[in-house]
Amino acid sequence: MRTEQVSNARLKQTYYLFAMIFLICAIAITAVYSVSIGQVPIPFQQSMQVVLHTITNGHLGSLEQIESDSYINIIMQVRMPRVLFALLIGMGLALCGVVMQAIVQNPLADPYILGISSGGSLGATFAILVGFGSGTVLAQFGVAFGAFMGAMITSVLVLGISSIGGKVTSIKLVLSGVVIGALCSSLSSLVIFFANDAEGIKSVTFWTMGSLASASWSKLPILTIVVLAGCILFLFQHRVLNTMLLGDESAITLGINLSVFRKLYMIIAALITGTMVAYSGMIGFVGLIIPHICRGLVGSDHTRLMPASLLLGGLFLMWADVLSRILVENVELPIGILTSVIGSPLFIYMIVKRGYNFGG
Amino acid sequence: MQLVVDQLETKLGKKEIVKNISLQVNKQKFVGVIGPNGCGKSTLLKSIYKSIPPHNGKVFLGDIDVLNTSQKKISQQLGVVGQFNEMHFDLTVEQMVLLGRTPHKKLLEVDNQEDIDIVEEALSQTNLLDYKNRSYLSLSGGEKQRTILARTIAQQPQFMILDEPTNHLDIRYQLEILQCVKDLKIGVLAALHDLEMAAHYCDYLYAMQNGKVYAAGTPEEVLTPEIIGELYQIKCETYTNPVTKQLGFVYQI
Repeated sequence: MRTEQVSNARLKQTYYLFAMIFLICAIAITAVYSVSIGQVPIPFQQSMQVVLHTITNGHLGSLEQIESDSYINIIMQVRMPRVLFALLIGMGLALCGVVMQAIVQNPLADPYILGISSGGSLGATFAILVGFGSGTVLAQFGVAFGAFMGAMITSVLVLGISSIGGKVTSIKLVLSGVVIGALCSSLSSLVIFFANDAEGIKSVTFWTMGSLASASWSKLPILTIVVLAGCILFLFQHRVLNTMLLGDESAITLGINLSVFRKLYMIIAALITGTMVAYSGMIGFVGLIIPHICRGLVGSDHTRLMPASLLLGGLFLMWADVLSRILVENVELPIGILTSVIGSPLFIYMIVKRGYNFGG
Repeated sequence: MQLVVDQLETKLGKKEIVKNISLQVNKQKFVGVIGPNGCGKSTLLKSIYKSIPPHNGKVFLGDIDVLNTSQKKISQQLGVVGQFNEMHFDLTVEQMVLLGRTPHKKLLEVDNQEDIDIVEEALSQTNLLDYKNRSYLSLSGGEKQRTILARTIAQQPQFMILDEPTNHLDIRYQLEILQCVKDLKIGVLAALHDLEMAAHYCDYLYAMQNGKVYAAGTPEEVLTPEIIGELYQIKCETYTNPVTKQLGFVYQI
């Protein structure tokens, strides 16, 4: 019996490691495929040579067979930043999803719960319709700034309201999130109602559907630092995250005061979400379903859940981005639509086929 | 380890729930707290392990001044088995019990072979070895409570607080849980609602009414028809159970 269990555990460990390696390989292959497609199709072989050559600084891969010099530019200047954007934002959304679900002890939570989404929307709506001027570059910057500020201000408000009367509990957080969210939504509607600007209203709509089109090398450093720092931090917080699942009462008997960690994690998650919202608008559903899919695959223990969610989140958004570009010719679908369209069936499959019952 | 509670006072909102209670649990003794619902048993225990911070008084666990020591330090010495709590996410029994090692770990430290051995030992003490890879949420009430007890054992506490740990459990599970705790041979302070269990397992009893200690002493001294009748507002007769030779109770309104 005992040896059987040991081998069983070892088997699970092997299965887990194999799955992680598979995900990393899939991300690498998807990245190369993703830079191959677009208005100028580039053969997969050649994309691989270009990518290999660039990242190994010329040690691997050769540029001799590349048909056109412009390929290198297209891949490295235009498409690569976008692929990295998709990877990072996918990771970030999944990360915040896992953290938020633990903070509020509620499987319904996603990075946008707690008013962050409505706050971001309000900020963006305000920037677009009332806003920071109409110069194209400035306007783009203005929307990002507005969204970020909106997201941060609402999260601080939500946190403030739920701190009233001492402990920050999960129920208080969810309720104040819903209240602040409703307030922000109606303010957004108010701005739209009085705006006499059809073009602007259209931009607001597009913004809420999410887009990776603004990806560029110049925007990557901030996003990379914020998302990767968040990932590294939370990868080492599995112990606290696990005790969060037990609730306040049990956590305190294990020496952990959840109220403090809730506040801290909430601020960090809001910062990451705010940054992502500023760059890509609202990409829904990823933060909600990726953690659930991963729980179905590797369980709720954050030691495994966190790495799995990060990788799967990144991979998922890269594919959503690929599909958004190839599904309708010469049209780029908003990525937020794709994430829901792919995500929902995947989720239903999880429930039907694997008997997954929402983490609980 | 010895627990000394001195003049503890706790308020919930404006209402005083625990009124100036002092009690003592000597080394390796199993001490029970009994009393009707709402008498402040739970609040008293929660004040001792600081889930509800008390307003006044002192708590000493061995040399540790509990109220002025970090939660982490306390939880290395003090384990708590509470009433049932709901969870929305699932863990396996083994992962659940491993969480008991939390107080002994630095924030970034991973579990090592020693922790796994301790967990294995706790699982075997609670008869849960075969459940190791089962999901916690799929367990029955009794099994869940045993898992929580195993987690508390894995914490390797020198003292344990039990807050009606056998609520909602079948008789067999009630006995199993209390016997398992008794066998640990550490100091225990337990709120109990079953008087026969209290009589059987406790070395000393505190009876609480309206946030105060109404009576204290050995089970024979406290569990008299008069005290029980006054405490729970019922008529009560005690007898010696002919089979177990232990104290038995008959109640009437």
